[in-house]
Amino acid sequence: MAAKAASTPTTYSPSPTTQKTKPSFFKNDNVDWVRPDGRGFHQCRPAFFRTGAVNAAAGSAYAEFGNTKVIVSVFGPRESKKAMMYSDIGRLNCNVTFTTFATPVRGQGSDDKDFSSMLHKALEGAIMLETFPKTTVDVFALVLESGGSDLPVVISCASVALADAGIMMYDLVTSVSVSCLGKNLVIDPVLEEESYQDGSLMLSCMPSKYEVTQLTITGEWSTAKINEGMQLCLDACSKLAKIMRSCLKEAASASED
Amino acid sequence: MLGLSLGEKQFIKGGIAQDLRSDGRKRLTYRPISVETGIIPQASGSARVRMGATEVIASVKAELGRPSPLQPDKGKVAIYVDCSPTAEPTFEGRGGEELSTELSVALQRCLLGGKSGAGAAIDLSSLVVIEGKICWDLYIDGLVVSSDGNLLDALGAAIKAALSNTGIPRANVASGASGDGQPEVDISDEEFLQFDTSGVPVIVTLTKVGKHYIVDATAEEESQMSSAVSISVNRQGHICGLTKRGGAGLDPSIILDMISVAKHVSEQLINKLDSEIAAAEADEEES
Repeated sequence: MAAKAASTPTTYSPSPTTQKTKPSFFKNDNVDWVRPDGRGFHQCRPAFFRTGAVNAAAGSAYAEFGNTKVIVSVFGPRESKKAMMYSDIGRLNCNVTFTTFATPVRGQGSDDKDFSSMLHKALEGAIMLETFPKTTVDVFALVLESGGSDLPVVISCASVALADAGIMMYDLVTSVSVSCLGKNLVIDPVLEEESYQDGSLMLSCMPSKYEVTQLTITGEWSTAKINEGMQLCLDACSKLAKIMRSCLKEAASASED
Repeated sequence: MLGLSLGEKQFIKGGIAQDLRSDGRKRLTYRPISVETGIIPQASGSARVRMGATEVIASVKAELGRPSPLQPDKGKVAIYVDCSPTAEPTFEGRGGEELSTELSVALQRCLLGGKSGAGAAIDLSSLVVIEGKICWDLYIDGLVVSSDGNLLDALGAAIKAALSNTGIPRANVASGASGDGQPEVDISDEEFLQFDTSGVPVIVTLTKVGKHYIVDATAEEESQMSSAVSISVNRQGHICGLTKRGGAGLDPSIILDMISVAKHVSEQLINKLDSEIAAAEADEEES
């Protein structure tokens, strides 16, 4: 909206060009779903990672996958609270929160409690807890904008942040989700696709070890579809791991200069 | 849970490797399951399931409510699990909250299907009374009374039995109701809608100990697990939900193998459960 600074201010009227059309209900099984951002069914969004987003934290990372923007900071290893029992391996504490403006409806941070425990489960298999006994590593994830496929992005960003913090891990954890829309399998769904999905498969794995740390499936799937979905996710995870590694290497070489 | 000595741990692991568990079962054998229905008169439907020493109660309450504006032609279902301190003293207060949340989320994933409603155990559109205004809200509550491992399977079975025991009263809409005001709904006393629970999936949890998987682990066996996969399978053999629990990583081929083992085991479990539920309903009618 061009503001005419010289003329007297009239009452505010919204620009007619920014019309948001409501998406129609996708009920037709015969019509093939066309993805809103024009990607192919097996194509992921371009991934952007940057470490060192938060100065105060031991390690941090910012990730942007299309419209999903996430920032993760890692604090630790810090002294465990006195109330907790002595433990000769370290502890991992994860927390995922949504900003109130992350979702189209204000304050509708979906499944917060659930995300925190799922992030914990995805990461605990990869971290060498024995290297920091009696202490706790805190991972705090904040979803700035929820554009679909939020938890996988949070998990991948958290591994980059942990690597940035220097926490010893067996491997990076990457995560990708696949949505089932009618008979099509669509990888890395956006928010609109997630709301129409018939089922979803989310996989977190350690690509170099070729091990799955977390797998959740909702909806009705036949074994062949699960196989296909898992293969898609595993391929995408290994490609994503390469991107994460190159980001970490860039950050490391930049700090050396 | 009492601590296990090194010798006991070795005994459990070694037994599983040789297909002979501590209570004499084979790896893929369930403990004897007993089902009672209609135990809670205040609820629309209820059931109590015992698997060995694990005992859980599920109750279904139907109340009238407003449908969500995003899906005006569907009713709502909410699943909550409460771990009672009678099962374990650590469950008192906030202690059992983490486990309760994990179980609730896993059950929701298995029974409610995808966002569009595909693969759901219950047909949500059958719960609507007046589209956009009044629908039935189903509150499914699970209570863990005694915990000896395999809570998820027992809760899944209890919910299946409770749903088959559920009767939603017939709601008659008074004709001549105004368009905007709250319509008059008369709830009759005769039970009307009974759910068809042949489509409700069962949950099979496969616990990996060492190199082998066992079904229906006791609490001792669960303490030795490296990871567990809970798979919900319906009568057609389709997977309706899957959750991997436990920290260790699993090779993808092992997961696919677990899925096929789960499908095989689920057939027997579904038949066993259906016959137990039918027997329990028959008992309830006689008494």
